[in-house]
Amino acid sequence: MILTVNNLHVRSKTKELVKDVHFSVRPGEWFALVGQSGSGKTLLSQAIGQMLGPNLKADGEIIYQDRNLLDLSGKEMKKLRGKNISYIFQDYQGSFTPFMTIKQHFKEYQKAHGIKSSKEREEQALTALESVGLEAGIYKRYPFQLSGGQLQRVSIALALLLKPDILISDEATTALDSVSSRLILELLSNLQKETNCAVLFITHDWRHVKRYADHIAVMKEGEIVEKGGRHRVLDHPRHPYTKQLINSAPTLSQTGLLGVNNDAVRS
Amino acid sequence: MLKIIYRRLVEVLIFVLLITFVSFLFIRLAPGDPVLTILNVDELTVSQDQVEKLREDMGFNDPLIVQYGKWIMDYIQLDFGHSYITNQPVMDVLLAVLPATLELMLGSLVVMVVISITLGSLSALYRNTWIDQISRVFSIIGASIPSFWLGLILIDLFAVRLNWFPTMGRDSFISLILPSITLGVAMAGVYVRLIRSSLLDSLGQEFIRAARSRGIPESRIFIAHAFRHSLPPVITVFGVSMGSLIGGVVVVEVLFAYPGIGKLIVDSIRQRDYPLIQGYILIMACIVFIINTIVDISYRYVHPEIRLKGRRNG
Amino acid sequence: MAEARLIQQKKWKSWKPVFAVSLLFLLLLLCGYTFLYLKHDPTLTNIGQRLQGSSMLHPLGTDHLGRDVLTRLLLGFRLTVGYSLLALLIAVLIGIPLGLIAGFRGGILDRLFMRIGDGFLAFPETIIAIVLSGLLGPGIVNLIFAIVLAKWVKYARLVRSTVMAEVQKDYIMAAKINGLPAWKIMTKHLLPHIIGNVAVTASLDFGKIILLISSLSYIGLGAQPPTPEWGAMLNESRPYFQMNPELMAYPGIAIVVVVLISNILGDWLRDRFDVKKEVDL
Repeated sequence: MILTVNNLHVRSKTKELVKDVHFSVRPGEWFALVGQSGSGKTLLSQAIGQMLGPNLKADGEIIYQDRNLLDLSGKEMKKLRGKNISYIFQDYQGSFTPFMTIKQHFKEYQKAHGIKSSKEREEQALTALESVGLEAGIYKRYPFQLSGGQLQRVSIALALLLKPDILISDEATTALDSVSSRLILELLSNLQKETNCAVLFITHDWRHVKRYADHIAVMKEGEIVEKGGRHRVLDHPRHPYTKQLINSAPTLSQTGLLGVNNDAVRS
Repeated sequence: MLKIIYRRLVEVLIFVLLITFVSFLFIRLAPGDPVLTILNVDELTVSQDQVEKLREDMGFNDPLIVQYGKWIMDYIQLDFGHSYITNQPVMDVLLAVLPATLELMLGSLVVMVVISITLGSLSALYRNTWIDQISRVFSIIGASIPSFWLGLILIDLFAVRLNWFPTMGRDSFISLILPSITLGVAMAGVYVRLIRSSLLDSLGQEFIRAARSRGIPESRIFIAHAFRHSLPPVITVFGVSMGSLIGGVVVVEVLFAYPGIGKLIVDSIRQRDYPLIQGYILIMACIVFIINTIVDISYRYVHPEIRLKGRRNG
Repeated sequence: MAEARLIQQKKWKSWKPVFAVSLLFLLLLLCGYTFLYLKHDPTLTNIGQRLQGSSMLHPLGTDHLGRDVLTRLLLGFRLTVGYSLLALLIAVLIGIPLGLIAGFRGGILDRLFMRIGDGFLAFPETIIAIVLSGLLGPGIVNLIFAIVLAKWVKYARLVRSTVMAEVQKDYIMAAKINGLPAWKIMTKHLLPHIIGNVAVTASLDFGKIILLISSLSYIGLGAQPPTPEWGAMLNESRPYFQMNPELMAYPGIAIVVVVLISNILGDWLRDRFDVKKEVDL
């Protein structure tokens, strides 16, 4: 198990937003966390990285490398964040600082984690960009000059740059059009298999779950109502809520609409 | 960028031309006889004939247009006339005192920037704590205090009672301190609140969270991301308040008997020394123009989107 | 989380108008007192009584010419505040029609107007006031005139941008289609928006104008002695500053209080009207 969550609660001053959550993620596994908005899945992901807002508090255990992440100091957590545990977010434009070029983003990130030589940084960055299918010209541009798909690719490049053990993807494709989403997810799937990086995939889109997930957990109102392997949950769902979700998801065949070969389309 | 400078230059020139013409009119039509003023300096009793002769010599009897024409010609040839009172060349007099004023402006700016960045940042980082309350009180009182009154208090406290600073003049670096604090504090009030709200806004942005998720140290996030992002509105206001800096300097100089261009001009106004006044207008126009242009340019630099407009891709 | 922030903001801002208005009320009471019962002639000099400290007869003492300080202070309230209001009002009354015309009609008039306005705006208000009052000569009338000239641009522009922003909107279009005459559109539909924006700017400006008038009177370019305007009073007490610092304390405090009230009110007005969409200056 690369990450184990036990008895996790997230509370605000007045409400309990995440209630008694347990689950584990295996190395290299694609773990899908499904639920509607407000189910608490984002809060859960934030708690893992000690990124909760100021009014929220988390209790319980989040075990990574034999340590409870919730007990770590800010400094210790900071070493892990970005290196062993990385994130990609839904708001692709918002994931980047508007007045910094992509190069500056890389540089800052690499420097923060100890990569000192600028030559090394540049090589690493350009290789990463290539691996996500972006050309080298992107390196010098500003975020506002790139499209949503391109930005998410850069996000993935950054997130996987230092070979983390787990990548937390918080609705990373929700804001993209369906073609771009497919491409991004294919890319992510390939890369994570290559690097053996686990993915905690937060989504409300059942299609993605069906396609990529190894393990599934369903969240409703702060609780996990069902979890298990993909075949078990998809083919024999037990909780009524799970059944509801599966039934209301639009059914598309494996090759997509009208049998178009999506791989031929580039973003 | 050159385009902006060019445009501004034209605007300022037109305005200066307008104002010099208007001021020219006012001077000739206003109460108070410049000839008498000139003569009075020597405290001689003069006869009517001498007055008339001087009036003729100085061209005051010529039709207005002629006078204005002569004056413009002089100005174009960079002859800015002589002070009525001291008879020294106007530009020499003005330029001699200008450095003092510039020093004072710089000193005040330093004080203002230090106070507002410190207080503004602290109150953003520790919002709703006692630091925040203090800075709120500070900024609201600071905006209500007349700078000269604050100066009087400072003089009374630090110069008269405690004797740490001189009460007036410009002897050394020390004499710059009290006037700079006076003006700097008076201006800082607005900025403290502006920086605070701008920072709070920036800190709430998504990209701050994204940077945090990459493990970037907090200090770097604060300075390179949040603070930098809060700059544009601050710079805009900064540009506008440069005006009150230039204006405020005048009052502070008079208060501290600080020999700068502000004090000079007030004295000139009282003595109706018109050539000096007109020279002052011209210099002020230049200074204002330079400052506004600098502000414009730095605004564009801070906002790469504006700079790169037209080269958008993707 | 966002809601928590909003609630906190609301609670904090509610004390402002109460505080400001009650202070204002107090001051107005004091001011009314002077109208009813002026114990001392503010300009009557009485050298024999000069520079006395507080007493029953003279609660705030006497100044260097034996005049009662309190009386002069209260009268100064009328003068300082009155002059400032006057300057502000005239600037607004000039600015509104000009801005309306420029915004509504547009065209050459508008562009010419913008050019002139740009020129004025490039210059700091204080300098314009100093220069103009310098050219015209010291005196409070000239100062007010100078301030009006320095300030009208701001209001004209404000009105102009408000008009331009609103005119785009559908309800104006509808009114035009329905055949409403221009002046009616202006008064019935545009005026409320304009008044809102102007009120916010004006109340914030009021404090600045008070400071401007008192500052310039202080350096001798505005109200002249023996007028008991606060800035002029401060100027007069300059030579006696070391011996009798209270003489300069009172008018100063008075200025601070009035400007403070005006700022608080202006802030509150601005928060209420949410001029966060900062109208183009």
